[in-house]
Amino acid sequence: MRRRVFVRGVGGYTPLGASWPATVARLAEGATAIREIRRFDVTGFPCRVAAAIEQAFPEEDRRLPYTRIAAREAWEMARVSAAPARLGVFLGAESGRCQWNTALGLARAGHAAGGVFDHERFGREAVEFATRIDASVISPAAVATALAVEYGADGPVETVSLACASGSAAIVEAARAIRIGECDVALCGGVGADVDPLMLAGFGLLGILSARGVSCPFDAHRDGFVIGEGAAMLVLAAARGDATVELAGIGRSLDAHHLTAPEPDGDGAARAMIAALRDAGDAEIGYVQAHGTSTPLNDRIETAAIKRALGAGVDRAHVSSSKGALGHWVAGAGALGALYAWQAVHAGVVLPTAGLVRPDPACDVAHVIGRAISKDIDAALANAFAFGGANSCLVLRRAA
Amino acid sequence: MTRAVAIARTAALSAFGPGARGLGRALAIDAPLPGIPAEAPLATPRARKMMSRAAYLAARCLGDLVRELAWTDEGEHIGYFLGVGASGGSLDDFLALLDESIVDGAFSLHRFGDRGLAACNPLLAFQLMNNFTLCHGAILEGLGGPNSAVFSRGAGTIAALAEAVHAVSSGECERAISGGADAPTHPTTVAELAREGFVARGLVAADAAALVALEASPSTTPDTTIIEGCGIASGRGRPIADAIADAVAATRREPIEQVDIVVIAPWGPPAADALRSWTAGRFPTATVVSTGALGESLAATAALAVIAAADLLADAAGPRRAIVLTLGVDGDPGAVALSRSAA
Repeated sequence: MRRRVFVRGVGGYTPLGASWPATVARLAEGATAIREIRRFDVTGFPCRVAAAIEQAFPEEDRRLPYTRIAAREAWEMARVSAAPARLGVFLGAESGRCQWNTALGLARAGHAAGGVFDHERFGREAVEFATRIDASVISPAAVATALAVEYGADGPVETVSLACASGSAAIVEAARAIRIGECDVALCGGVGADVDPLMLAGFGLLGILSARGVSCPFDAHRDGFVIGEGAAMLVLAAARGDATVELAGIGRSLDAHHLTAPEPDGDGAARAMIAALRDAGDAEIGYVQAHGTSTPLNDRIETAAIKRALGAGVDRAHVSSSKGALGHWVAGAGALGALYAWQAVHAGVVLPTAGLVRPDPACDVAHVIGRAISKDIDAALANAFAFGGANSCLVLRRAA
Repeated sequence: MTRAVAIARTAALSAFGPGARGLGRALAIDAPLPGIPAEAPLATPRARKMMSRAAYLAARCLGDLVRELAWTDEGEHIGYFLGVGASGGSLDDFLALLDESIVDGAFSLHRFGDRGLAACNPLLAFQLMNNFTLCHGAILEGLGGPNSAVFSRGAGTIAALAEAVHAVSSGECERAISGGADAPTHPTTVAELAREGFVARGLVAADAAALVALEASPSTTPDTTIIEGCGIASGRGRPIADAIADAVAATRREPIEQVDIVVIAPWGPPAADALRSWTAGRFPTATVVSTGALGESLAATAALAVIAAADLLADAAGPRRAIVLTLGVDGDPGAVALSRSAA
């Protein structure tokens, strides 16, 4: 028998606040964290803005402090306990970063004439640099491992590396594990710490960052996304406790279409949404936390997919995206979306899409512009779509 | 709805060579293995520009598997769940980027933005992102069902298999493909493994991809290998034997009384000793086979072990049960219980 999955706690560490309530207060009034990057020299980069966390941390890899703060908040709110073997950790994360000089030294250790990598020379000369890289820190799994140690989790510990859908997919896997009894409590979510030269370069080379330096999902003038960073964590449990929200539906799909572009008719995205809605059973969606990247293609196609998935019910749903205010957290984005959806169902607060001024006629859904609105919401849908075409959707519903 | 999940077919590219049939037998008799040349180039210009080596191996392996299967389902009904590593991009490409970013012998971010970016392969990001080990193949073969890319240095691949088994057993999809792919011979991964002390303790890196195709099947169907369950456990801060026992216990609701074959997938000698010792105490009459001769393929190793177990079960007469035990460099054990009914 499938067990129900309740959201017992949430936590967020974002560029707008050191906790989820502090962040919500700023988001509700329409604030945005996107501004010029000051952490490193961005002269010459295709995009020079980001939603960055300014707080300094001693750790070289910032994923861990971000996640620790968000996890602590979620755990304290949850007030749960579980035997070590019944506690799992599920995190969406990509690789951490070593310092630039270390990466440079490693690459140059294998530099042969003609600019070709020389493996033999690398083997001889890379030792000095290799010893500087602590793989236990920069590995994608390092953060989940650290959380498992800190919270005494002997149950399943998983790191999902599914690019922009990682955080959502990690929540999906946590829900599955609770449903079938692999664990009773799961600490889950996602983290993004990609405001660094390599990611700015990588996404910039692909031409998908906003040249104007503006994140404005669904706006007629949108021209690309802006990188953001932070951590969003949830505590899920089989026991209801005083939870007001349950994770009722999960759905996944692959576009099987293109490395960066979504399927033109939104079929893959719609299939994931429909799967999540079917999985939830009876749920009236009053809010959709869209993936809403602010790229011309995604927002138009996602709008069509939302309309297809919700059918006539789209008239009753408001739509917004976190990326206007907080940028694109990549591996953490789907978990941040889950927090937006939780906020809507738990408190009836639908957070706005910052940056959205003039909606694109091709994105004709009920947007939340300017400030948050109050609305009694039975269920919310949260979308996360990754490069490569992996889609993951969640339905959060009021716990009856 | 819960349905039994059977292995329909397997495919692998590993030190055993291309193909999966006979892998279990070869390991059981210590047959010499041909190996994959670590420096073998990616086959096409497209692959060189867009794919990491792990993604290329996974896509090739998936192509082989899909052609052999001849499944007629729409791609959207086929799930794809993969254990993936982080052995990413071409250092040639990275070097080109860095070379243009040097001023007076020192790296300059200013110069990097101004010149370095222009010198770089614009598709480098596709080599670096871990999920593209899964996505390249899915796009090429048209797989559109539920999916996940679980980062793996051992147990993550078992987690991916557990997801796939559950997706099929619950009816989320009709069929699924699962396994792992990794390229630990990538220079930075070798450097990492050396840094962690694994190389000094006997780890031999080997690139590989290994996949199993899963479909629903009545559990009593003759000549069919059923995956009874998968389990993983945290190995940190406690005796490894306890963690192995937890992983095995998580594979089935009922305790496992009889096991005929145990395939162990250890990252090197210390892990092999732990798995052999635990097996000798718990299943003293079982035949034990190790994937050690294949080298350590990180995210692919556990999947190679599952293939070896299925291969050995298919060879045996009468009903049998096998357990796969993995202990990767992450220190987390994983277990898979398989059984095969009599012909």
